[in-house]
Amino acid sequence: MEKIVIIRYAEIHLKGKNRGYFERVFCVNLERALKGLRHELRRTSGRYLVEAFDGERVGEICDRISRVFGVHSYSVGLKTESDLDQIYACARLVAPQSGTFKVDTHRADKKFPLNSMQLNAEIGGRLLGENPALKVDVHEPQAYVFLDVRENGSTLVFSEFKKGLGGMPVGTAGKGLLLISGGIDSPVAGYLMAKRGMTVECLHFHSYPYTNEQAKEKVVELTRILSRYAGTAKLRTVKVTHIQESIHEKCAPEFMVTLLRRFMYRIAERLAKKIGAQCLITGESLGQVASQTIEGITSSDSVVESLPVLRPLIGFDKEEIIERSMQMGAYETSVLPFEDCCTVFLPEFPVIKPKMADILAEEGKLDTEALLAEALESLEVIEI
Amino acid sequence: MIYFDNAATTRPSARALEAAGAYLSECYFNPSALYGGGVAVSREIAAARKFLLAQVADPFRYELIFTSCGSEADNQALFGCARRGNLVTTAGEHAAVYESAQALKARGIEVRYAPLHADGSVDGAALLSLVDEKTSLVSVIHVNNETGAVNDIAALAAQVKKKNPRAVFHSDGVQAYGKIPVRLSDDVDLYSVSAHKIGGLKGTGALIRRKKLALPPLIYGGGQEGGMRSGTENVFGIMVFYHAARETFAAAEQAGTRLREVRERLWDALDHGIFTRISPQNGTPYILTVSAAGLRGEVLQRMLADGGLMAGTGSACSSRHRFSRVLSACGYPERVLDGVLRLSFSPQTTREEADAAAEILNRTATDLRERMN
Repeated sequence: MEKIVIIRYAEIHLKGKNRGYFERVFCVNLERALKGLRHELRRTSGRYLVEAFDGERVGEICDRISRVFGVHSYSVGLKTESDLDQIYACARLVAPQSGTFKVDTHRADKKFPLNSMQLNAEIGGRLLGENPALKVDVHEPQAYVFLDVRENGSTLVFSEFKKGLGGMPVGTAGKGLLLISGGIDSPVAGYLMAKRGMTVECLHFHSYPYTNEQAKEKVVELTRILSRYAGTAKLRTVKVTHIQESIHEKCAPEFMVTLLRRFMYRIAERLAKKIGAQCLITGESLGQVASQTIEGITSSDSVVESLPVLRPLIGFDKEEIIERSMQMGAYETSVLPFEDCCTVFLPEFPVIKPKMADILAEEGKLDTEALLAEALESLEVIEI
Repeated sequence: MIYFDNAATTRPSARALEAAGAYLSECYFNPSALYGGGVAVSREIAAARKFLLAQVADPFRYELIFTSCGSEADNQALFGCARRGNLVTTAGEHAAVYESAQALKARGIEVRYAPLHADGSVDGAALLSLVDEKTSLVSVIHVNNETGAVNDIAALAAQVKKKNPRAVFHSDGVQAYGKIPVRLSDDVDLYSVSAHKIGGLKGTGALIRRKKLALPPLIYGGGQEGGMRSGTENVFGIMVFYHAARETFAAAEQAGTRLREVRERLWDALDHGIFTRISPQNGTPYILTVSAAGLRGEVLQRMLADGGLMAGTGSACSSRHRFSRVLSACGYPERVLDGVLRLSFSPQTTREEADAAAEILNRTATDLRERMN
């Protein structure tokens, strides 16, 4: 008998002719997640098995699997030959010590001498005989003993299904460029896109020396957290200090944020095209702050020429975002007190519903192309 | 690179590190051990303890308890002695005292804060008026770590004792020890010091205690430090502290005189159209706090570092603690609080460094002012 982890995948079975492709990507993602731990990953009909690992590291293997998109559920169990005594030896190990239980058999190997019902009865009967503290309850058992008699002559024995993250394997739905700040929202936005299979690359804007190194370190850390899920390989940073200083010098103060965001989106689109990203992703949620009104979003979107801007959090409340941030393990880092955008240039009363004509008039005071070129010059790439 | 953030920490003394090196290698024994090696280490610690204490107090009437830092010493003083009635302290305390007082307040101790003068020193008359028969502890920082102002703790302690002889008097002496002349009078019961402000290592501090004062431990265990602070001694840290203190105290008087001149020279070279002075003339010679009013100190600090000068600041970009609590209590307006820079020196600081620093400060502040209009 050998300890194993059984992984079942989520929506991949829906994918018809593409199924092979989805399964291959999923397999690569699982291998990447398990990298550095001794193991063998095997694909069988409708599931994957992790075998040949060090038994005491099973917790670590499960932790890693629980962070891979596409995993519907997983179980820690035992694998043995399809021999009645050996199956029973495994069943005693996974069965509860007391209370009610039920044996539930799935028999793919139709040559196995007992059918599912008979095997349920046989194993259940032996367990009852050995441990008087157990009782069978086939309707609402407190615990299960699952038996999976497979065609290749082996049987899997386990007692519970642990829920995976669901979603699609990352890498099956293209690549997006996430505008990541040091806050709570943007990492969650990247996480949700990754959940649907998108590979997420990150871009961060800073305005050194008005913003500090710690804020940048924090974004590196957030990107690292996101990369566990989203296949992120690099964090790119662009310095927008001079853009901010120019807006401050030449334009009406209430347009600072509106104008700066238009610059950020332009930079992001150019960069996205350079790295082969097919969309921009932001963490905006409608009405959350002054710049996230429909007018603000219209203003930003209008400078993006040919890519969609995806906003997976647009209809989320802050509370819902925080919940997901905690789920992905980013919250503690997100709330560290280093501000990513210095308050030096923030206007007291930002314009909430900017009119396009006013925006264009203010923007007209700036040499947009020169500022963009200068900002793009400052591009730094940090390997994650 | 010029390092003017010595009030945050000093470069460890190379000579002290070398002199104490044996305690990292051959002399690794536990000082509580009864065999020769342990006894020898224990003897060395005793000698270090005696020296460190004797520099500022009479070893017949005081003793010194090694702690892990100045903050621990402050915590032990406050949590050990402010157990009932009220605690009187100042608005100019280091966070180690301030936050301990806040925690005591949550436990039901009444905490009274004496106001500050503009230079950061405490208003002595106001402090005394807060002391009454229910006061269990009075804690007054010796040298204000943000402005360098010196409180006359001997006089304050004497007045406090006159009003309530049972009140315990504690002072945080972290920025004073080894830097300005200190001699504890009998009225001062507890005094906190730290090694890494005088060329020692982070992770080593001490609480000096008047021998007859009852003081419970914060950390219980094997009964080290006369039962007042358990935990195996940080032998290497203590020995570095000892050797660094020997160097520091031998040259303290001379360094003080010289740094007073360096400090004034630096101040004179600064552009007084940009910088206003916060530190008093009669404060510690080791600290010059100024403000470039209207500029953000934190931003200036980063630009200065890029220009070759490491300085401290009194403001932060984080919205929660944007302004220094202590400097706010000195009564400065937000514009001034925003632009605070603390320049702090060590006995190694030279006149040439001060000249170069002034040039960098003037140039950088002018640049930032232009960029922000």
